[in-house]
Amino acid sequence: MVKRRRGTGGALGRNNEPALLILTSLASGEKHGYALLRDIEGFAGIVLGPGALYGAIARLEERGLIEPVPSEDRRQPYRITDFGRTALADAVNEMRSLANEGAVRLGLRPPARAHPSLPIGLGGLG
Amino acid sequence: MNLDRRFDRLLRWYPPSWRERYGDGMIALLEDAYAQGAVPWRVRLSLARTGLVERFRASGLVGASTGRSEQLRAGSLLVLCAWSAFVVAGSIFAKFSEHWSSSTPPLHRSLASVGYHIVEGAGAFGAVVVAVAALLALPPFIALLRSGGWSSLRRPLHRVAIAGAAIAVLTAALVIWAHALSSHDRNGALVPYEAAFLFWSAAVVVAIAVTTGSVVAVVGRLDFSYRKIRMLSAMALALVASMMAVFAGVVLWWVQEASAAPHFLANNIGDGIVATSRLFPPAMIVASLLMVLGLAAATGGVTRLTRSLHAKGGPAPSASR
Repeated sequence: MVKRRRGTGGALGRNNEPALLILTSLASGEKHGYALLRDIEGFAGIVLGPGALYGAIARLEERGLIEPVPSEDRRQPYRITDFGRTALADAVNEMRSLANEGAVRLGLRPPARAHPSLPIGLGGLG
Repeated sequence: MNLDRRFDRLLRWYPPSWRERYGDGMIALLEDAYAQGAVPWRVRLSLARTGLVERFRASGLVGASTGRSEQLRAGSLLVLCAWSAFVVAGSIFAKFSEHWSSSTPPLHRSLASVGYHIVEGAGAFGAVVVAVAALLALPPFIALLRSGGWSSLRRPLHRVAIAGAAIAVLTAALVIWAHALSSHDRNGALVPYEAAFLFWSAAVVVAIAVTTGSVVAVVGRLDFSYRKIRMLSAMALALVASMMAVFAGVVLWWVQEASAAPHFLANNIGDGIVATSRLFPPAMIVASLLMVLGLAAATGGVTRLTRSLHAKGGPAPSASR
């Protein structure tokens, strides 16, 4: 069973891949549905279906992680909320921590605590 | 067909509230992505699947519900859906096993008979539980009608009425035809009648599904007191117990028949009828699979119910009385 320890209480949910992709995309600015699909395909190489995209958008909106931007166009843009940024930062830190641990255990880098003063991600350079 | 209507049709799987909220955005996305060509079947199927998921979410059957009352209501409705699967399975079982005793040696009938009577008794108990639950739901239903809620109930009730009328007409036609046939013809010898019977069976299954969906939609709009929701939840748990008993009875009957009268399970109608039915073995397998499916749904409902009943805190805000 997966347990989350951080302050946003696992707000992205357990099945969080589309949610993470959408939040990551929106972190660089507001986008409508089609722009989200293209952006996600560009940075992650993942093609989300329209149903999966809007299902995730609805869940993210319900949880207050994103919000619609007032628009005259039918292409409804969305932006990330402050809570969404915090949740995304938590998720990113969690993944980074897991990636660091995996790298250490694979012998790709020495344990990070050997250089506690260095930021996460640079620990292996010393 | 213009683009809007073409894409709008793809969203028919979604509930109306969803289409109202996200329909324009999704149609705009589909226009951007597929205006120049056909929408791939992969995308169409994906939209159908996600649309049905959203319908289940909208009815509260899946997804996170907001409060204890909503959880209890959703759990109870999930159990009701499981019961519908058992109604279909039980009907198949009753139809195809009705002459079992004449095909089974008297010495080997006792255990199979116990299983059969368990199925009958538990099925009747479940039907009574559902009837009492319907009576409990009647006052809130009338209250909703009196408060001008007819417009929100019209569509599901129309669907039930149409399904009921269609089944009545089909049943009458089949019965009239059946009375003009010999027992031999009715039991597999006359292929057109067998095809008509299959069609009627499929129509009954669709009618049960439509009725269940409509009941779920209507109950979702009713305003229950927290006390009444707890009563309905307890009845849902009793209904699950009856489903488990039905399943156990079917398994006991099946095992006993398989050892004592394998020819009956293989094809024979029994009771002195020499005709055989090609439908018997697959029908009994479908009935058993439906029961397993129903039990899986019931387990989901029970999980919701027990979690909510054991959760700390008061009733949800929606429980008004």
